Amino acid sequence: MDAPAHRRKDRSLLAALNIDDEEIGNRKRFLQFGDDDVARLKSIGELSERYADEVIEEFYRHLLSFEETRVFFSDPEVLARVKNAQKNYFVRLTEGNYDTDYIENRLKVGSVHERISLPMKAYLGMYNFYLRTVFARLSETYRDEPERAFSAFLSLMKLTFLDIGLAIDTYIESRERTIGRQQEAIKELSTPVLPFRDGILLLPVIGMIDSFRAAQLTEQLLHSIRDTRSKVVVVDITGVPYVDSRVASHLVQTVEAARLMGSRVIVSGVSPDIALTMVTLGIDLGRIETVGDMQSGLELAERLAGYKMVRVETEAR
Amino acid sequence: MGVPILKQEDFLIASIQDELTDAELLNLRDQLVAKCRQYRSRAVLIDVTVLELMDSFAARTLRAIANMTRLLGAETVVVGIQPEVAMSMVQLGLRLDGIIVAMDLEDGLSILRSRSGKKHASSA
Repeated sequence: MDAPAHRRKDRSLLAALNIDDEEIGNRKRFLQFGDDDVARLKSIGELSERYADEVIEEFYRHLLSFEETRVFFSDPEVLARVKNAQKNYFVRLTEGNYDTDYIENRLKVGSVHERISLPMKAYLGMYNFYLRTVFARLSETYRDEPERAFSAFLSLMKLTFLDIGLAIDTYIESRERTIGRQQEAIKELSTPVLPFRDGILLLPVIGMIDSFRAAQLTEQLLHSIRDTRSKVVVVDITGVPYVDSRVASHLVQTVEAARLMGSRVIVSGVSPDIALTMVTLGIDLGRIETVGDMQSGLELAERLAGYKMVRVETEAR
Repeated sequence: MGVPILKQEDFLIASIQDELTDAELLNLRDQLVAKCRQYRSRAVLIDVTVLELMDSFAARTLRAIANMTRLLGAETVVVGIQPEVAMSMVQLGLRLDGIIVAMDLEDGLSILRSRSGKKHASSA
């Protein structure tokens, strides 16, 4: 009694994958999965329930005979539980009810397998095993009506492909979510604006600058300038592998914009290689102040901001 | 609504309160130049913190103010350009040549004071 209520509550997978009733309909139409298929599957429901335990046993014997899939079922308790779940899954194939709850259930099964990182090839192999075993049972049962066995099998195949599509989608969705999270992390990592002293900001740039990163870098820098009222900024490009005319023009724009806000930008970390490319390409850095390494940059920034560094005499000597 | 212009010692401070139309900008220019002459000011500070947009006409007018006040012996300082405004100005190729820019009013005043200090020192 509780089960349907619980199922109705949790539609998060459907939502995450953008699968609504219309999409479900589209998928079924694409596979030409119609009412006659539903009827045919329902007609072999009794048969599959009769053979369910047998098929599942055979299925796990097969799985456990491979090192790669055996590791997932080393715990006998786990094995008993998944066998039970597998049986439900199998019986549901021929229950004749392929509504939203069914889809949600299939997505859930897919995401569980994704979470234990069962390889896709093993997943597909399992479907293949099901189809083969069921076909053997069907042709045995309907020995005198091969036509009937075959059409029931085709209907099952359509449904299986619907399931496979859903399973693959859960795998892809999870991977895409991971990629998205990592992109966020990279975005945050890539352009830290560090207060170096009161009134001096340090912006170390590591890695390639593309136009997206350049825009973000500029935005972060300008906002940091306003928030910290910094008069001098050192942009260190030691970690930038190469500077082409596009990167250079981004730099010039950033420096000009900072100047309009009343801040001075020093670009440091110009390697001999970068200097050579810039001269060869004839890149005009305009009025940008550049220095060789970050140390020189910071020293210049301190001088501009009115700091004077003095080494403290040590008494020991 | 016009822009209030305050006289503070040797400086004139124009604090823009809202986006300005072209006519209001020209009016600001005339007012500033007139008051600059009237009070014999040494510098004009224009606070643009509230502006969310600076088009070519505004930039040109600011440059004109700077050039005109310089003829009267006063510097022009623009303060409070916001990050987005700065970025769009660079992309549009708008420049504020001949104008001192500063972060905010306080920064602008301290720049002006240090400049006048140097001037006195050199003339002494």
